[in-house]
Amino acid sequence: MGLVQRAIEAHGIPTIGVTLQKAVTRKVKPPRALYLRYPFGHPMGEAFNVAQQRAILMTALDGLVTITEPGTILEPGWAWRRHRFT
Amino acid sequence: MLRDVVNRAAVQLFKRVPWIGEQWARHHRFVEATTVPWAPMRIPLGEAVVALVTTAGVHLATDPPFDMDDPDGDPSFRIVPADAARDTITITHKYYDHSAADRDLNVVVPVDRLRELRDAGRIGGIAPRIYSFMGHVDGAHLPVLIERTAPDVAARLVADGAGAVFLTPA
Repeated sequence: MGLVQRAIEAHGIPTIGVTLQKAVTRKVKPPRALYLRYPFGHPMGEAFNVAQQRAILMTALDGLVTITEPGTILEPGWAWRRHRFT
Repeated sequence: MLRDVVNRAAVQLFKRVPWIGEQWARHHRFVEATTVPWAPMRIPLGEAVVALVTTAGVHLATDPPFDMDDPDGDPSFRIVPADAARDTITITHKYYDHSAADRDLNVVVPVDRLRELRDAGRIGGIAPRIYSFMGHVDGAHLPVLIERTAPDVAARLVADGAGAVFLTPA
């Protein structure tokens, strides 16, 4: 996914992607990433957890504005199924 | 048959034992980068048209599925209208457990959440098309992805008027 992201950014569009694998992201180096220690298949969290999905999306989109260092990986540290989103 | 059983077991192991994925990532050869492309946000988020891109194998049920038989993956992409009805969209991907995403597409492509942000004025709009890959691209297909299909999607996103892109993996 990072390769696709890099190609889009190279075309002049700011990008941010969720990553579930920090080791891969560190190698591929997309411009901005949001790392979640979630299981594969759950980049936006759990099914029908609207508050969680919204928090992930909004945190990522805010990162487009706040991140100034290329290659930054945001780590909110939300524990899988334990963090309560409101 | 046996291959399917082994694959399903591997998918569940990778999902439930993160250490396995970390070991795989440590030993797998990736296209390692030294530089990072950079396009700063030049407009407020509230004015930006946001596009969704995924590698979760999402596609219209009427489009051909991704090639799951090639061990090097499928470097092609599918286009899904951002306003496509949920029941016209399906997922072809055997390398991850998409049972949650099958029930709620927002688990991999947060199109409903993006609509809510647009309606609340948090973003300027939603790009008309979602671009979807299947990920797991390797070997001879990697140059196709890097040189052809990824730049193709990037150019299409520019044409779509996307001012920002949010990407989700499988």
